[in-house]
Formats: sequence, structure tokens, C-alpha cells
Amino acid sequence: MIGARRTTCTFCLNGCESAVVFDGYQYRMEYVEDGKVNLGRLCPRGNSANLIIDHPSRLSYPLLDGRETNWSSALEQAKGWLASMVPEQVAVAYSRGLTDRELGLVAGFAKAIGTKNLVCGHIEPENSFNYKAEGVKPATLDQIRGAKAMLLVGDVFMTSPVAAGPMIDARYADADSRLVVIDSIRTRQSGFAHVFIQVQPGTEPFALMALAGMLDRKLKGIDVDRMARLAGADKAKLEAAAKVMGSGAAGFVGSAMHLGRVRYPVLHSLASQLVAQKAGMSFVGFGEGRVPIGPTSFPRLCQAVEAGSIRMLFWFGGLYPYSYPELVPEFGRIEHRVATSIFLPGSALPGYVLPVPSELEKETVGHSYWGQVDRSPVATVYSGARDVSWIIEQFAPGVGPAALDEPAASEPNDIVSRAAETAAGYSTPEAEWTLVGEKRAVGIKGIYDAEDWVNMSPADAARLELCDESYVRVDSDASGDEFRVHVTDLVPAGVLAIGVNRHSNRAMFPLKTGRLEETAIPPTPVNVAKSARLAKPAPEAKAEA
Amino acid sequence: MAKRIVLRLDHCIGCRACEAACMSRFKKEARIRYGEVSATVFVPLACRHCDEPLCAAACPFDVIRRDEETGIVRQSSFHCVGCRSCVMACPFGVMDTKLRRCVSQKCSLCSDRAEGPRCVATCPTGALQFLEDRELEETRLGVSVTGKSAHWRRP
Ligand code: SF4
Repeated sequence: MIGARRTTCTFCLNGCESAVVFDGYQYRMEYVEDGKVNLGRLCPRGNSANLIIDHPSRLSYPLLDGRETNWSSALEQAKGWLASMVPEQVAVAYSRGLTDRELGLVAGFAKAIGTKNLVCGHIEPENSFNYKAEGVKPATLDQIRGAKAMLLVGDVFMTSPVAAGPMIDARYADADSRLVVIDSIRTRQSGFAHVFIQVQPGTEPFALMALAGMLDRKLKGIDVDRMARLAGADKAKLEAAAKVMGSGAAGFVGSAMHLGRVRYPVLHSLASQLVAQKAGMSFVGFGEGRVPIGPTSFPRLCQAVEAGSIRMLFWFGGLYPYSYPELVPEFGRIEHRVATSIFLPGSALPGYVLPVPSELEKETVGHSYWGQVDRSPVATVYSGARDVSWIIEQFAPGVGPAALDEPAASEPNDIVSRAAETAAGYSTPEAEWTLVGEKRAVGIKGIYDAEDWVNMSPADAARLELCDESYVRVDSDASGDEFRVHVTDLVPAGVLAIGVNRHSNRAMFPLKTGRLEETAIPPTPVNVAKSARLAKPAPEAKAEA
Repeated sequence: MAKRIVLRLDHCIGCRACEAACMSRFKKEARIRYGEVSATVFVPLACRHCDEPLCAAACPFDVIRRDEETGIVRQSSFHCVGCRSCVMACPFGVMDTKLRRCVSQKCSLCSDRAEGPRCVATCPTGALQFLEDRELEETRLGVSVTGKSAHWRRP
């Protein structure tokens, strides 16, 4: 294949159009100025499409217990495993990176083998935007362009940088336009805000509920003062935000959730939508991908595995958290495992890992925030990889797609009572250090940024006698690592922020399963110590050596 | 008329897409860099293609030259010995001190691409623009935004 192929970016739901050129030797990106959503613009992730296609860690052969094997023996043995199981002992999980048709086939596969254990493995907080509040309208691109009042929760700009373009234009278009940002750390996005409300890590939903209460005084059951206090938010700023959002100006609410920065993902989604509803505005839930919630929740799967009732697991799509033994130790109890992957997993995994094509090599009709998108393959299927549909066909010939249900929309009163229940169970953490996850658009497969650094406040750096480029050891309950320090006032004292695209950084955040059956990846308490490692050898040490 | 990469600082969100576009094309060479003005303000550092380039003057082997017709200050990487004289001479600090494949990384305004530099094409917010000097005066970039009143300016 030689020439330019147009496609739609797969790395977030903004649906930017781009082209990939193959000149007979290498893939290159090209920018298509007539792209409706993005006018040819791409963020760092969109720019890396060509590098992902022939990334050195692409998987091109099946792995058994981390060692190379071949397709025929892999399928034969895995089929034998499946045949030896009672259907209820098998669980089928799906995650990001599958086309709508493939998702349907995975559901059909679970049905065909007769198991009810069909699980959504995409537990990243952004997937909770699947939970909808009643009567909230999705925002259109024209509404974004013409917005006079905007509320952004979390770092929308780094989640979908190209979507930031129209928002910034709208912010500057009129001297009366107002931008409100709610977040637990300052981000570059907060630099654009007229009102920036800083909250305690993971307590955005409380600030949002307080805001909803201010917007609709008739809404019963919200203790505005208490909610603002729990969030650690400045009440005067919340009032200023309520004035902006309640002004009747055209606008929207945009919300994003980040791994390691959200305590209550479902409430975060619902509270953001409640504010949109009370302000009479439309809503967008920003994220990189969305997968239906499905019949069995992830905590239930873990419980069943713990109880010994699951003996075989199929995992289709993105490998987080499947490939993190430190996060889901339960999976170690499963006898037989079959997973699919685009890349070589970060560590040797028990069972089979089968190579599949990336989304860039698949044809699909997908969805973006702004509607439907067509995606055509920009490269031939990677050598040695096989489609998920082909793999399913080998295990269950003739299987057809089945539907995956969506959760019912919540009413305002449900949201209020959910918030009250959550607030009752929340107490301000007392740990000396809290680690939060930060969305960095540029951190993808370590291509542009290794994400081996941590943001630290100047006060903390002074206390530990650290400066830029010194090293620090950070240990959480799940994992630990050494990071290069970047001293910045983006983070408050006592809070550290790391990028969450890197495999080992994600492993730092233990999973929490709540009473409401949701999985959260909240900010985590950590121990911090000065590292013996120095950025550069001190001159004297060098001389001695 | 020479065209230059110009920046509307008020639109930059610090996503580093410009750097990514450059690295994606030039095999991990970052010919455009970034700096921090404050914690929330980021500034991409693009080569100015100066009329009297100091990098060219500093180059001991005449590897960097200015093309008078297009105004592009171009480096012949084949002849570069990696001495970093150009890096030290640049008054704007736009050249990375790190060498790639033993040569310094010098912007060529993507002269292999008819539509202009990739960093400009990719910029998610339109913060980077590719303009002629004349257009620059006409559009009064920056003046329109930062000059109106204090609340238009970012902190
Ligand atoms: S904003 Fe989203 S869709 Fe656009 S290039 Fe970036 S990742 Fe791709």
C-alpha cells in the first residue's frame, strides 16, 4: 500500500480527521485541512498514529506464559481448556480498543458458551460517563463555538486538546464570556479560567453538588455548606461560578475524569450532568474511549474469582488492569487465561496473549462527542496479528453479535441521595502525601515523554531539600518507583502528580471497589523519601572517581 | 516574501503537539522546543529563521546557511559534526542541546511539505501560525487579545 489514507483518530472521542502516508518505506502523518471537526489539527496522540503502526513493541506472535509460541498450538490448547470447563466457570471481559461489531461479538461469544459472566474491563473513571442523568442534552460543536459560559471539570484540554481550540476561541470571542474550571490541581487549562475552584483531590462531585444546590435553591437534600466544606472549595468562588452558570447565557458543561484523580466516578459523572441540567446547558463527557457497562461489574468478577468460582478468563481489548498483577492479585488464582493485545505486555503474563490489530488497522463506524464517525484502516493488519472476530470464530464457530445494555438514566433526586450517601462515607484523608494522576497529552507509549517525573510544590521541595531534576522515591500500597522532580506550583503542598500513560505509573494507584459496585482508581496516600540517586554526579564525586 | 512561525501565546495550552508533530516526522528530532513562562503558561520555541542568523555565523564548517530567496536558515545535517556551536550561539535557545544521530536539530520550516510546517498544521488551538511579515502586521496578532483589557490576559 503506497499513498495517503484518510482516517479518524482513535485516541480520544473528538474524532479528528487525519491521513497516514506510506511512502514504501515508512509511515508519516498528514494533516487534512478540510477535516470538519479539527481543520487538520492533531494533538500529540493523534500525531503518533504512524509511530504506533510499526512501534517496536508491537506483538506479532502469540505468547504463552510470556514466551513466544504459534497460533495453531495456542488455539488448540486454549480450546481444550474451554472444553474442560463448566460454562459458569468461564468469564469473558472486554475493554477499550474494540469496534462496535467486535464488542457485539464478544457479548455473543459469552452467550454462545453459556456464561453469564460478561464483564466490562474498562474500569477507567471516564467510562462512568455511561451513567446518564435524565434530560441532559449532549453539546454540539456549534454550541461549544458559541458558548458564553463554560464549566470544565477536570483537565478537558489534555484529554482532547483539539477540542480546546473552539473553547479558547469562544473564551476570547467576547469580553463577557466566562470560563469556570473545577479541579484538584492547577493545570494549564486552569490558566485560562476566570474562576478556578480548587478542591481536595477526588472531591469534585461535592463541589458540583454545592454548585447545583446554589443554582436551584428548591432542590431538596443538598447541604451546600457541607458539600463545599467536604470539597475544601472556596464558597465565594462557588458563588461566582453559580452566577456565571446561572446567568442564562448560552453555554455547556464539560467534564473529564483522570485515573488517580477521581474518588467517585459515577457521582462525578452524574453531578456534572446535574449542574448542566440546572444551568439549562448541554453536556459533554470527555474521554478517550467508551465501552458499554455490561451485565457484570468488575468488583463482582473479582469476588467470584476470589471465591474460586471462575477458572478461565477471556480478556479482549486494552490490558489495563489485566496486566497489573499488583493491582488485581485475584487474577493470579485463575487457572487458564486468554487475552488479546496490540503490544507486548509490560510483564510476562500467565496464559496466552494473542496479537490483534490496532484500531488503526480496522474498519469501523464509531462515535465521537459530536456524532458518528467513519474510520477506515490506514495500514494492513500487523504481521502475525488476527482480528478479534476471527479469534472468537475459532472458539465458537458461527457466533453472532449480541446486545449490551446501558444503565438507566438517573433522576435529580437519585443523584442527590447518592451524593448524600457518598458524603456520609467520606472523611478528609490525613495522609502526609497524596499522589494524583495527571493527564499528559504527550505521554503515549513513551514516544515523546517517558513520564518518569513527578510534579512537586515548591514548599515540599524546600522541605525535602530537593530541586528540579533531583530524584525522589515514591511508594504507594501497590507499587513504588523513583521519579525526577519537577518543582512547580501547579500542585498544592502535600500533593504529587504523575502522568498516567506509563505502565509503571498506573501500577502506583490501587483499585478501590465501593459499596455501589463501582470501581474507582482514587488519589492514593504515598510515602515519599529523598532518593540517593542524583541527577548528575556532583563535581567532587566525579573528580574522586 | 519570507514566512515565519509566529505564536499567539494566549492560545497555547502546552499540549506539546508541535513537538510531537516534529518528532513524528523527523525521527524523534525535536526541532521545535518548549519552555515554561509560568506554571500555567507554556511557550513553544520555534526557530526564527533570523535575517542574520548567529547559528550560521558560529558554525565552524559553514553547514548552516541562509537561503536568501526563501529566507530559510537551513542546515546540511550530512556535514554537521555535532560541535553544538550553533546551539550555544542561538540567542533564543531554540536548538536542543541534545544531539540526535550525532548532529544538532535544526528547523527547516518543513520545506519538504508544500503546505508549510507540520507544527503549525497540527497546533490544536491555532496558537502557532505561519505568516508573512506583511500578514503579521495586518493581523496584529497578540495585540487583539492581550491588549484589550486586563481580564483578557492569562495569569
Ligand atoms: S484530540 Fe483526540 S481525536 Fe484529536 S488528535 Fe488528539 S487524541 Fe486524536
